[in-house]
Amino acid sequence: MGGDAYTFNLFGLTFNITNMISGLVVCVIVFFLLFGLSRHIQMKPKGGQNVIEWLIDFTNGIVRGQMNREVGARFSYFIFILFVFIFVANQLGLILQVGWNGHELVKSPTADPVITLTFSLMVIVLSHFAGLVNNGIKGYFAEFVSPSALMLPINLIEEVSNFLTLGLRIFGNIYAGELLLGLLGQMAFSHGWPTIIASLPVEMIWQGFSVFIGSIQAYVFVTLTTVYISRKVSGD
Amino acid sequence: MGAIAAGIAAACAALATGYGNGLVISHTVDSMARQPQIAGQLRTTMFIGVGLIEGVPILAIVVAFLVMNK
Repeated sequence: MGGDAYTFNLFGLTFNITNMISGLVVCVIVFFLLFGLSRHIQMKPKGGQNVIEWLIDFTNGIVRGQMNREVGARFSYFIFILFVFIFVANQLGLILQVGWNGHELVKSPTADPVITLTFSLMVIVLSHFAGLVNNGIKGYFAEFVSPSALMLPINLIEEVSNFLTLGLRIFGNIYAGELLLGLLGQMAFSHGWPTIIASLPVEMIWQGFSVFIGSIQAYVFVTLTTVYISRKVSGD
Repeated sequence: MGAIAAGIAAACAALATGYGNGLVISHTVDSMARQPQIAGQLRTTMFIGVGLIEGVPILAIVVAFLVMNK
């Protein structure tokens, strides 16, 4: 809860162990969550199956709102797992923060700009690849100069700015949330009992707000992903 | 000097996000009053709009935190 990340250098590149451990924790949580909810599938769902069916319906609705059925069928699994992963990754820093020896071990992986820009780059490259596969090479390059060749620099700048804002939006929200949690914790333990009592409701309100913000940011990321993919694939 | 810079950045971020969110949400409320049957879709679009608008002012807050102690 303070302190910096564990990093080590290998072949001249810096590796961040904190992000690796946090990402691994998110993967384990997502796996056990989905595995546990999807046992005993029946025709009439009850209990956990309802939750997972509601989730899949939710993300399928996002995809169906942007693309038609046969294009959407290729991407609905990806959008579902992307939404669940980013949602759990955003909430992890509110539930569990582990530090050891002055370094952070577990926090939200999405509080690091490298992780969120990686997600955003993966999504943008996927949209370009889907456009290339669907429209062919000529169609893909023709889209950059449609409706006129003057739009070429605007389209290129739009790609770069989509990539940057998609990644940095989540980073800004989650990092500011965690930073403020840390500051409130420091304020709580600074002067003994009065500040602990005073900052307890403030910290609870801020954690509730951060849960809300994390969910909204995951939803916005997934919606913008489907918008970008559908624009490349069908061009409108 | 870092504290002054952080204060200016945070104030500009608060103004920008308040004004932008206010425009989106007030137009959403107007549209919901006109057509109550699509209130659900309007609410969804409002949340997407608020999420998009708050993206860059949050970066201003992050900048404020970074320069706060310099």
